[in-house]
Order: sequence, then structure tokens, then C-alpha cells
Amino acid sequence: MKNSQFHFPLWSRRGSLIAIVAMVCALAVWMIQARGAELSESGSALGTALRKPAGFPQLIAVEPLPMIDGQMCQLVPASGGTTLLASLQQQGLSSTSSREARTSTKLGRSPMGLIGQDPYSTFGSIAVDPVRGEIVVGGAHNAMLLVYDRLANTSPTATMTEPKRLIIGHQAKIDRNCGLYIDPKNGDIYSTSLDIQDLLVVHPHGASGDAVPVRELRTPPRNVSLTADEERQEIFMTVQQPPAVVVFRKMAQGTEAPLRILEGQRTLLVDPHGVAVDSKNNLLYVGNNTSFADAKGKLARDTFLVSGDPNPRWNVPHRGDGSADTVPGSGRFELPSITVYPLQAKGDTPPLRVIKGPKTGFKWIARIDIDVEHQELYVANDADHSILVFRASDSGDVAPLRVLKGPNTGLRYPTDVFVDTKNNEIVVANAGNHSATVYSRTAEGDTAPLRTIRSAPEGTLAPMLVGPGALTYDSKRDEILVPN
Amino acid sequence: MHSIDYDEIHDEIVVPQQFAQAILTFRGSADGDEPPVRVIQGSKTQLKRPDRIHVDPVHNEIFVPSSGSVLVFAREAHGNVAPIRILGGPDTQLGGGAVTVDPINNLLIIAGSAGQRGGEEGNQLLIFDRTAQGNTKPLRVIRGPNTMLTNTKNVRVYPPGGWILVAEDGVEGRATGLSFIGVWSIHDDGDVPPRWTIGGPKGSLFKPRGVALDPENRAVIVSDKRLNAVLTYHVPELF
Repeated sequence: MKNSQFHFPLWSRRGSLIAIVAMVCALAVWMIQARGAELSESGSALGTALRKPAGFPQLIAVEPLPMIDGQMCQLVPASGGTTLLASLQQQGLSSTSSREARTSTKLGRSPMGLIGQDPYSTFGSIAVDPVRGEIVVGGAHNAMLLVYDRLANTSPTATMTEPKRLIIGHQAKIDRNCGLYIDPKNGDIYSTSLDIQDLLVVHPHGASGDAVPVRELRTPPRNVSLTADEERQEIFMTVQQPPAVVVFRKMAQGTEAPLRILEGQRTLLVDPHGVAVDSKNNLLYVGNNTSFADAKGKLARDTFLVSGDPNPRWNVPHRGDGSADTVPGSGRFELPSITVYPLQAKGDTPPLRVIKGPKTGFKWIARIDIDVEHQELYVANDADHSILVFRASDSGDVAPLRVLKGPNTGLRYPTDVFVDTKNNEIVVANAGNHSATVYSRTAEGDTAPLRTIRSAPEGTLAPMLVGPGALTYDSKRDEILVPN
Repeated sequence: MHSIDYDEIHDEIVVPQQFAQAILTFRGSADGDEPPVRVIQGSKTQLKRPDRIHVDPVHNEIFVPSSGSVLVFAREAHGNVAPIRILGGPDTQLGGGAVTVDPINNLLIIAGSAGQRGGEEGNQLLIFDRTAQGNTKPLRVIRGPNTMLTNTKNVRVYPPGGWILVAEDGVEGRATGLSFIGVWSIHDDGDVPPRWTIGGPKGSLFKPRGVALDPENRAVIVSDKRLNAVLTYHVPELF
């Protein structure tokens, strides 16, 4: 043997080497397993790979997504139609910036399209002055009253008939006229406005241009129709919500309080539109429509009255004061009707009679008028393009006495009817075609008018927008839907 | 009527019926004296004077703002049914207003009055999670003098671009020339002015009310109460 300090037998050196390797391997395995358990806790792939199989699915990894600034894929819903999907293209989201200082960019460009602004006057309300031979027309689309000769008749080839006078202008305060009445004695014109001014203005006969009214009376909001009892010198107006008939002195002005108010559940008033007075028989007729909810508020509140004032004044009800509040969840639809009351009715007075039911043919009662002499009620039946005539004594589900309807009549969305008993005619305002049509008082069926007053070329249909409060776009039909 | 919505997935028209406290759904091609296909109405609905609505055709829900809250109904609800969700409470900061839903970014946006909040004036945009309910705080609030929001009328959202469009009327009751359609981002927050204004201030709009979008033609469509007209603006910046 050579000079070696350590000499192991050959078999022992090999064995030791094997032992040492085994120990190192065991140590390594232990270290890896320990780290693997640690890694497994943190969810790393390595740790996961070292997790013992469990025989069932396990969450094996969680990797947080990187922060995204701006660009992001749009979720496409499975239920999306093609048009919606087509519009949901990958687009850059608006910037995430929120609070940094910035200025607004005004896109000062003109509209590329304009629909509905009617260049012609539309006819919504109508009244006849048989003494002075004039017809006065107003409309919710107009800021004017038009005065025509009673016998005006636009020839088919003429563009229009020029009115004798216009009452128009800022001072005149004619803004989207709704109710119209002419004093038969002196020709004074009474006009109420829809939904904007809450004002009744009175212009003397002959007023023209931007004339100042001789009288103004503050009215509750949402008033629709107007008439008067000349015998008692009282003005009647209907209010949609809360459903009511409000009666003032005919000469009332400013904030003078009404003489009485007919309102309440038992009145059966439902979105009242038309109103007519039979002074001879002391009866009040009201035309009602379909939408109703139990009133929580009312117009006749003691708190409205201004105390300590020698003249009866009130804090005129206005929007948002609770007077039009309704009981939540109490809404319902009724059939249109005409309700009849004693002329002096006030408070929660039930009607004496109700004309209501499918036989009546009521579609949408715009306004009504009464022929006291012949005891006949006339109804401008708007959505049916017809004028219905009932006996004033009718009650229940009855068919009209006469119906004026058909293509030859020229009726298109008639919104007002006036019975001119002096000349034995009825005069109708048609909101749908810029016309007023005049018929014999007893006309019925598909009868052509005796005369037509037009503010537009023959056949020109009106867009019938009345202060469009909303709209939506129908992409399927490429149409714009505008509720009125 | 102050609101209408077209559901382009189901081809239906939805409107609020204020006086009768109802939500009416019609066929998209409805014409003439045609009854609605569905009516939500009755004591369980809690509808008071529904004045505005919005249809989310993706998630099949109808949203109705109601006196400081938002009622949510199933799109196909019919009859006397309760809302499936109600968002309301002092923390919501809801007042009155118009509503729109972004079904892609899952947001509910309300434009309207600031409610009863200790003398604060003006209007606001409140942005919630689409499914928010109960007394939930908004995710973001756009409010303050820089916003120029004083009398908001209607609101729309364009989800692909994340744009909110608001019909701002200016002063109630008067056409003052301060009207416009304002455009904000869904990410905006605080007292920030609109990114863009369309039709004003001192422009072609006087009393804007409705606003609708035509993405195919890159147009914003607006109804104006004073002009009694519908105006279409070409606004490629948004689309």
C-alpha cells in the first residue's frame, strides 16, 4: 500500500458514498417539500404542482389581472340583438379622468335636420262671435290668436285665408292657448294657456298685434277648457290634475280666489277636458277622459286663502305644492264619460247623471258644447275624427243621436266644437290639418263642410307636436318616436 | 308625457302613464287605437306619478324614478306587481329626475334635482352600480357650479363610448338661452363641466327635453319644447 493516511476498504468507501448521496437526496426532498408546502399556500404553480392529488377538482392557481388603463374589451351579452351588437364595437372608453381641471368644448354647429316646426298656424280651440261675425281660433302650438271673418271660406286652390287680425306678442301673453271664450255682449276674448303660463288673459274685441290684456287672472296649473255662465257672470274652467272644475267671478283678476271648486272622489271627474254650461236649466256638463288616481291633494285648501285681505284672494296652487298629489298605486283607467251636475255644485258632489259606455263611441273627449235651445250636447271626439251629438238629458251607456264622421267631412283630430245657435251652424277646430270646418247644426254622416278656413295649403297635415317632452329612436324602422 | 323608450332587442315601446300611475308597453309597430301588450299598475307597484322611465333590454328591466327613489321592474312584468328592486334612502342623494342605464358598463345614472340637501342648489348626475338597491351611496356624483346643471330634463348614455348626455334646460319656465345638451364621461366625478355641449348655451336650443342617439348616423336627436320641434345634430366625436 502506498503512503495514505486514510484507507478504507473498497467496499466501505462505496457504501459511504452511497450513504452520503442518499442523505443529500433526502435532505433535498425534504427541503423541496417544505418549500412546496409554502408555495402551495401562496398558490404558485410550483406549489400547486407539488400539491398532493385529492381526487377532485381544486382551485389550483389565482393570477391577478394586470391593471388596465382605458382600453378594455366590451362584454357582449348573449341576448343582444344584431343591431345592438353592431353598435357595440370596440371603442375607446372615455378617459378615466374625473376631477382634473378642464373646460367645456361647445360644439357650435347647427342641426342638420329639423322636424315638426310647423310653418303654418294650427287650430286647437275655437269660438264664434255671432254678433260681430267673427271666428277666433287658438292653438296649443301657437303663440297667437287668429281672428277670421265668420263667413271666410278658403278656396281649394288658395294657399290659406288671411286672418283679419292676429293677437300676438310678448305683451299679449297668448302662449299655447288652450281654453277660449268670447263674451257675446261685448266681444271680449278670454284665453287660457296650456301648461306654461297658468294665466287667463282677456283682450277686448278688436285687439290686434302685441296688445296688452285688459285683465289677467292667475289660474291653477293644468287647466284645459273654459266657458262662462253669462247669467251669473261666472267663468268655469276644468283642471286635469287634481280633477276639478274651478269657478271664478267673470271679472276676477290677479290672485282673486275662486267662488267655488268642484273636486273629490265622488264627483267622478277623470282628467276633465270639456266643459259646458246650461244657464237656463242650471246644469253643468263636463267631458272626462280615462286616466285617474285617488287624489291626496286638492285645490280647495284653507291654507290657500290669504287671510286679512278684504278681497277674496288665494295662494294660487302651483306645480310641486302637493295639490296634485295622488295616492301611490291607486291609478286606474276609466272609460271616457260626460258627467252632469247642478250648476252651483261645489266640493265633493256626485253627478246627477253620467253618459258612459261603449255605445257612446267616446274615444278622446277634447271639448264639448251645448245647444241649450235644442237640448243637444256636442262632443269633439278627437281620436275618432268625429263629432258626436247627444241629447242633453241622456244618461248611461247610450249611442249618440248623430255622428258626423267620414273622409268628406274634413275632420282630422277635432279638438274643439262651437255651436252657433244664431246661425244654426257648428264650427270645428281640426288640429290635424290646419283647418276650421263649418257645418249645418244638424249635419251627420259623411257630410262635407259648408265652409272651410285654412291656414295652410289644402291637404297639409299638421305635425301635431305640442311641446315635445321626450323622444326616442327606433333603430329598426329608422323612426323617431315623440310622445305628446 | 315626458318620457318614452324604445327597446330595440324586443321591438317594444315603453311609456309612463302619469295620471293613471302605470307603465305601458306597446309593440314596436303599434299604430292607432291599439292597446298595450303589458300594463304595470296597481297597489303593489308603488307607482306614484311615473314621469320618466328607462328600459334595459339586455337585463330585461324597467327603471322608474319615483320621489327620491328608483323602482325597478322586470321588463315583462304585467299587472299589479311589486318592484324587484328599489334604490332609495338618504345616502343615495336621490331627488327627482330622469334615469338611464348602461348595460355594458353596468351603471345606473340619474339626472335630476339635488333633493333635500341643506341648501344645495342645482341639479346633478348620480352614478350607481346598475344593481344598486336600498340605501346605497352613488359611485360618483357630478354636481356643482362648474357643471352648469340647473334644470336637467332627460338623460341618455352611449355605452361603447362611456358618454352621458343630459338635456339641460337652464332656468325653469323661461327660455333663457342657457340650454344645451351636455356630455360627460361615465368616469367623471365632482364639480366638472361637460366635455362637450351641443346646441348651446346660446345656441339653437331653447328648452331641450328629450334626447336620443342614432349611432349608425352618428347623430344626437333632441326635442325642444319651445321650438316645438325635433332637431338632429351630427356629432361624430361621440361615436
